[in-house]
Amino acid sequence: MNKIFLIVFLFINSTAFSQELFVFTEPASNMPAKSLAFRDMNGFFLEKDGKLNYHNMPELMWGINKKWMVHVQGFISNRQEGGFEAEGGSLYAKYRFFSEDAIKSHFRMALYGRYSLNKADIHQQELETMGHNTGYDAGFIATKLLHKVAISSTISYERALDNKPDYNFPITESNSAMNYTLSVGKLMLPKVYTSYKQINVNLMLELLGQRLNENKKSYLDIGPSVQLIINSQARIDIGYRHQIYSTMERTAPNGMVLKFEYLFFNAFR
Amino acid sequence: MKKILIPTVILFFSVVVHAQISKAKLTATGLTCSMCSKATYKQLISIAEIEKVEPDLNNTAFLLYFKKGSSVNIGDIKKKVEDAGFSVGELLVVFNFNKQQVENNRSFTLDNNTYTFMDTKSGTLNGEVKAKILDKGYIVEKEYKQISKMVKQYPSYATISKNLFHIKVL
Repeated sequence: MNKIFLIVFLFINSTAFSQELFVFTEPASNMPAKSLAFRDMNGFFLEKDGKLNYHNMPELMWGINKKWMVHVQGFISNRQEGGFEAEGGSLYAKYRFFSEDAIKSHFRMALYGRYSLNKADIHQQELETMGHNTGYDAGFIATKLLHKVAISSTISYERALDNKPDYNFPITESNSAMNYTLSVGKLMLPKVYTSYKQINVNLMLELLGQRLNENKKSYLDIGPSVQLIINSQARIDIGYRHQIYSTMERTAPNGMVLKFEYLFFNAFR
Repeated sequence: MKKILIPTVILFFSVVVHAQISKAKLTATGLTCSMCSKATYKQLISIAEIEKVEPDLNNTAFLLYFKKGSSVNIGDIKKKVEDAGFSVGELLVVFNFNKQQVENNRSFTLDNNTYTFMDTKSGTLNGEVKAKILDKGYIVEKEYKQISKMVKQYPSYATISKNLFHIKVL
C-alpha cells in the first residue's frame, strides 16, 4: 500500500500540464453548455478460467447548461450464454454546485446520480451499476486543478436492486456499498501550445475502491492510463485496471479499457 | 442583508456617444487544456457580433474582433465563457472614441450599456483607447475585493447590473 501512495505522490510532484478528463472516473467539471458528446467504452476483462469478457458501453452526453449535464448509456456484453447481447442501460446526471476559477487553476464540486437497469445474471459480490447490476449510485465529486496538476476524488453510495426479470439480488449478500476514488492526471505533450490541432498526451493514475456495507468486504484497484486528445475535440483512452487487493468475490477484476470520445461543440443553440 | 440603494448619480452624467468597440482581449480562468480552450473558443465564435477570435492557448487568452458597425454586448462574452465552464479573469476592451471627455465617475452610454470611468486620468480621448472592465465577474475575485474598497469614491460600483460597467483607461 505504501508503494502506491509513493507513486501517487511522485506523480503529483512531477512537472507538466495537467488534465482531469479521467478514464475510470468523472471529474466535478462539466462539459460545455449546449454541447453533445459520443463516447464508446470497450472493456476487456479476463475471468479466472481464462474466458475474456467483452463489455461495450456506448454513451451519449449532453451539457444542458454550465451546471447540469446528463448521460444516457447502453450496456452490451458477451458474458451471457447467448453471446453478444444488450443487457441494460443507465441514466446519469451531474450537478456542479461549486466553482472557483483562477489563472490556470480551479476547484469544483459536484453531485451526481446514476440509475441503471440490467437483466444479466448476478455473478459476484462486487456491486457495479455500470454494466452489471440494476440499481443506483449517488455521490460527491471534488476536483482541483492546481497549476499543472489535476486531482479528483469521489465518494458515492451504491445500491443494487434485482436484475429483473430473471435474477433477484441474493438476500444473503450486501446490496449496498460505499465507493471511493482518487485520480491524478497530467499533460505530457505538447510542452508549448501552438494550435488546437496538436495532439495532447495525458497520463493518469487512479485508485478505485469499494466497501460493502453489510459484510465489510472491500477491494482496491489501481488504474493507470494514457490518453490522446486529437484536434482538441476527440479522445482516445487506453487504460488498465488491476486489483491491488480484494476480500470479496469478483468475477473479472483485471483488464483493459479502450475508450473513444468525440465532442460536438454548440450542438444546440 | 444591507439594501443597496441604486445611486441615481450614475445615470446623471450619462451621455449617448458615437463610439464603437472594435476589439477585446479576454483572459479566461479555470483552464489549462486545449480542449477547454477550444470549448471557450467555440462558445465565443457563436456570438453574432464577433467576426474573428484568435486564441492564445498558452495564456488562455482570446483576441476578439467585432464586426464593423455592430453593437457589442459585453455581458454576452462573460455568459459564453461561463457556458464553456470557465470564468473571465480579465477583459480589455478597445473603444474607438471621438473627443470623449474623461473624468472619474463620468458615464457614457453605448449600445444600451452604460460605462463609468474609474481610476482614470481626466482629459479628452480620441481614436483607439484600451480600457479594462472592473466589474465583478470580469476580474479575478482578489482584484474585485481590492477595488470594492474604493466604493466610497465610486458609489455606482456597488451596483451590480448587467448593463452597467466600470472602466479604467489603460
